[in-house]
Amino acid sequence: MLTYMRIAALAAMMPFMIPAEARADKADDTMRVAFGEEILNLDYNNTTKREYIILSDLIDEGLFDYDPETNTYIPSVATGYEYLDPLTIEVKLRDGVIFHDGTGLTAEDVAYTYNWVISEESESAAKGTIERWLDKAVAVDDKTIRFHMLEEYPLAVRDMANRIQIRKAGTYDNDPNAAATSLVGLGPYRVESFEPGKEVVLKAFDGYFAESPKQPVSIGTIVIRSLPDTGTQQAELFSGGIDWMFKVSRDVAESMGAAPNIDHVVSTDLRIGFLVLDAFGHTDPEGPLTNVLVRRAMNHAINRDEIAEFLMGGGAQAVHTACHPAQFGCDQSVAEYDYDPEKAKALLAEAGYPEGFDLELWSYRDKAVAEVVLAKLQAVGINVSLRHGKLASLNEARANRQIQAYFGTWGSGGTPDTAAIARVHFSADTDRNMSNNPKVTDLVLAAEVTGDQEKRKALYSEALSIIADEAYWVPMFSYAQNFLVNSELEFPTYADGLPRLYRANWK
Amino acid sequence: MLKYSLKRLSLAVAVAVILSFVTFLLLNFATDPAQAIAGEDAEPEVVEQIRKTYGFDRPFLVRYAEWAGGVLRGDFGESYYWNKPVAEIVMNRTPVTLLLAFMSISVTIIIALPLGIVAAFRPNTAIDRMALGVAVSAQAIPNFWLGLIMIILFAVTWQIFPVSGDSSLSHFVLPSFVLGASSVPAVMRLTRTGMLDVMESDYIRTARAKGYRGFALVRRHALRNAILPVISVLAVQLGHKFAGSVITETIFAINGIGRLALESILGSDIPTVQMLIFLFAIVFVAMNLLADILNAVLDPRLRIA
Amino acid sequence: MMSDAKADISYIEADAADATPAPLTPGQVLRMRARGHRGLQIGMAILLALLLIALFAPLLAPHDPFAQTLSARMLPPVWSEGGRWEYPFGTDQVGRDYLSRLIYGSRISLLVGFGAATIGMLIGVTLGVLAGFFGGRIDYAVNFVLTAQLALPGLLLAMALVFIIGPSVWVVIGIVGVLHWTYYLVVTRSATMRLREIDFVAAAEAIGASRLQILLREILPNLVPQILVIFTFELGVAILAESALSFLGVGIPPPTPSWGLMIAEGKEVMFFRPWQVVLPGIAIFLLVVAANLAGDGLRDITSPEGRN
Repeated sequence: MLTYMRIAALAAMMPFMIPAEARADKADDTMRVAFGEEILNLDYNNTTKREYIILSDLIDEGLFDYDPETNTYIPSVATGYEYLDPLTIEVKLRDGVIFHDGTGLTAEDVAYTYNWVISEESESAAKGTIERWLDKAVAVDDKTIRFHMLEEYPLAVRDMANRIQIRKAGTYDNDPNAAATSLVGLGPYRVESFEPGKEVVLKAFDGYFAESPKQPVSIGTIVIRSLPDTGTQQAELFSGGIDWMFKVSRDVAESMGAAPNIDHVVSTDLRIGFLVLDAFGHTDPEGPLTNVLVRRAMNHAINRDEIAEFLMGGGAQAVHTACHPAQFGCDQSVAEYDYDPEKAKALLAEAGYPEGFDLELWSYRDKAVAEVVLAKLQAVGINVSLRHGKLASLNEARANRQIQAYFGTWGSGGTPDTAAIARVHFSADTDRNMSNNPKVTDLVLAAEVTGDQEKRKALYSEALSIIADEAYWVPMFSYAQNFLVNSELEFPTYADGLPRLYRANWK
Repeated sequence: MLKYSLKRLSLAVAVAVILSFVTFLLLNFATDPAQAIAGEDAEPEVVEQIRKTYGFDRPFLVRYAEWAGGVLRGDFGESYYWNKPVAEIVMNRTPVTLLLAFMSISVTIIIALPLGIVAAFRPNTAIDRMALGVAVSAQAIPNFWLGLIMIILFAVTWQIFPVSGDSSLSHFVLPSFVLGASSVPAVMRLTRTGMLDVMESDYIRTARAKGYRGFALVRRHALRNAILPVISVLAVQLGHKFAGSVITETIFAINGIGRLALESILGSDIPTVQMLIFLFAIVFVAMNLLADILNAVLDPRLRIA
Repeated sequence: MMSDAKADISYIEADAADATPAPLTPGQVLRMRARGHRGLQIGMAILLALLLIALFAPLLAPHDPFAQTLSARMLPPVWSEGGRWEYPFGTDQVGRDYLSRLIYGSRISLLVGFGAATIGMLIGVTLGVLAGFFGGRIDYAVNFVLTAQLALPGLLLAMALVFIIGPSVWVVIGIVGVLHWTYYLVVTRSATMRLREIDFVAAAEAIGASRLQILLREILPNLVPQILVIFTFELGVAILAESALSFLGVGIPPPTPSWGLMIAEGKEVMFFRPWQVVLPGIAIFLLVVAANLAGDGLRDITSPEGRN
């Protein structure tokens, strides 16, 4: 016991025992960042995960860029766009934008990229999103592209900003994965070297266009290291092997942030956490979850504020809607269910379940939150068993309609628009939709093809209030994003939680 | 011997074949590899696209037949996750695991042999009991826990060895200690028993009568004979190190095949899991065979028989 | 860990060969030997203490091991700054009393240990006795199964199975049990073979006892001491296997307090709150050491020749 106490004392003091050795990084102008996910492919057009968004932000440009400060889409390599008619968008390109190999950007490159993504041979991850609305892209002249659309689609500019990165014409002609390991992009950094699964070295690109909204870009070299284990990341940060890590849990962030040479930086995030309930009765047509009183009872059983404050911390907040409050169209005036276990019990009794019922709850991340939810539901008499595992098995079980309820999260790809969460969860052809109310589906899909923003808002309001009244979900909380950063580094954060590494600079 | 070896090896292959079908089946019906590839925020369209690209939308039996056909031609397929031939990934990762296996077996030898010899030399004394205590303790320590404690003490508090990774030899010190320690009890006890047997034998009594005492006796006469059974057990243990490095490699972030196995199972990377199951089964049986052969070659009594 | 059962087989086999089938020793002799065996006493004492802790957990634990207090989460233990006696070992990530969870964790470990060792015993002894008694084709078939089992990557297979079936205490017990029977088989098979040759079996055959009668009345009782020894060892092996599976997240499902799971939960913050990793590890260690000491001791007193 005594030795063990000594170990504990030593380790508790550890952050202070480690000498704040002078880090070489500021001196050689190199920022080393750690990703938990392995980078295996440089081409964002063929990938989906968040780490690839961060990387792509550094090496690529799309036509537009999302500005987190004004919450709008602003021109990037384009100068602007114009609807010639509801089904045709014309985009003009900026002068003086060059690829990392020195060649200038032309309308031909843009048209090629878009047409390739929706082509037969393409295996692009963006294909499904783009082919929904794009018929074809045509280069009218050297600097002008026209996008001919299949249907009216107000989010076309968002997709151009978020989903498609411009490639040189002909890039994919011989190989759909041609840009996976050697990429010629337009972004502020060019790829100096790439070892799949291990390391990407990026150098500031001196030909980067001055008018870019990403300017000013300050740090000369960025090294991205794949360190799948968070313990390794922590140790490396202590010893100066890395300068930056993200997706840190609150407890680790707070403990490590106490060290003299490490800053704990917190930002809000567009990700929300919620329970989806089998209101339709896929698992059991007569099941308790098909009863709205039961679903409302579950909403009353969860203490959202407590989870947000104690488990998430730093800017996380209770959420009562099936979308993040910061998203466009996310009407906050819908029905709210306050934390009231007594009322929950009464509702369960009224619904005919005074003794509660058996419920299998699936989850795939934030085990602590899942355990809190379980305890709260059990406190009102529902006999919950937790099935905490991997995303891939949760999704397979859900696709087979074997899930009564799951603890889901959605980050909306950083898009501050209700569309980015509503379609995925409430359209008719997604198994995430476990309520299958055709009315909600119609409203959500109608909003996607409505150009008028006020009308769009009204459609979402109606959908969201049905979802809230019927308690299809138990919306719970929004996430906070914790970063740990070398104290010599200035790292600004943004409301959407997406780290913009090109904005970092030395103090 | 040759016939026997072939029989054992073909049995291993048969086991691997059955097992591969079962895992293929189970992983297929219990997980969605497309989702594992796409990540948590992937929209359904994206997942659908991946399903088509990888052919997950085709019937299960067709895909198994395709995979099995490939294996017969020596092609274990492409990893869903790494987008590279599985054989290439496994080959790239094997040296690290081999190094770890050999280093840990060395740790086992360095600890277990002297302990066993000393214990046998002074049976039922304090030294013997201490050796036994080491064996009993080593058997009872959860391997993964020992790894974490080593990291806390040697890598973080005292900063003697690196926390994790596999870029230099010093990265292998802690993991090979952890992995090696788990074999100490078996090898130590066997050495001790073997030594005791030999010490009772006639020729040692003769040697004693000739005046050999202490360590000279051990070195000159006893060790060589006592070590025979130990060597074959070491071969078996080496097989275990190779296949049993899953947890150790994961804790110390060593990019070997053990960690690959764990990640592939959790990530539903079926082709990789399949090949590793084959590899582990065959290595294990081969090591057992090697042990048998060593026994036959080294033990004169067996050779005569 | 999981592979150790296999690792030790050759060694146990050698042992089994040495150990003549235990002659029916009078209980007094056993008790006398036990009194002189320090390791056995220590092992049994710890086992008994942990069994009592598990039985009387509700009386011993200061809190409900499932009760969460989010406002009191991640409290340090009492000897650290900020610790309080209310939570002697602090609280975990959702504000549950760590000491209470440690105490209740003994139930899971013992349940899985005894459950899995029993399942393994049923499989292994059945196969071993059948193979040893009947020999021939049955022996050959059992040998095939044994070799097949030995070629399986045990930990990986257990992981895959639990991952796919879905974790629960019973699934873990079943899978760990089904993967740990080779010890029993090897030992009971050779012991049965030797018993067969001994006079009293032949005598029983001569007076016309059926094969089943011989198996149950003459063979099995004589195997009991050896089975008991293996059972005690396998108890430790099964407990370690459970902790490893739970540590990897494919064992006992949360929020059930399992020591392996608790180590996994503490792992993320182990640099700052090492006791969350150290304490459950010590608990597992104590339990398994006790089982091994008891196993060693039982072997020594039931067949004293076995040790040397």
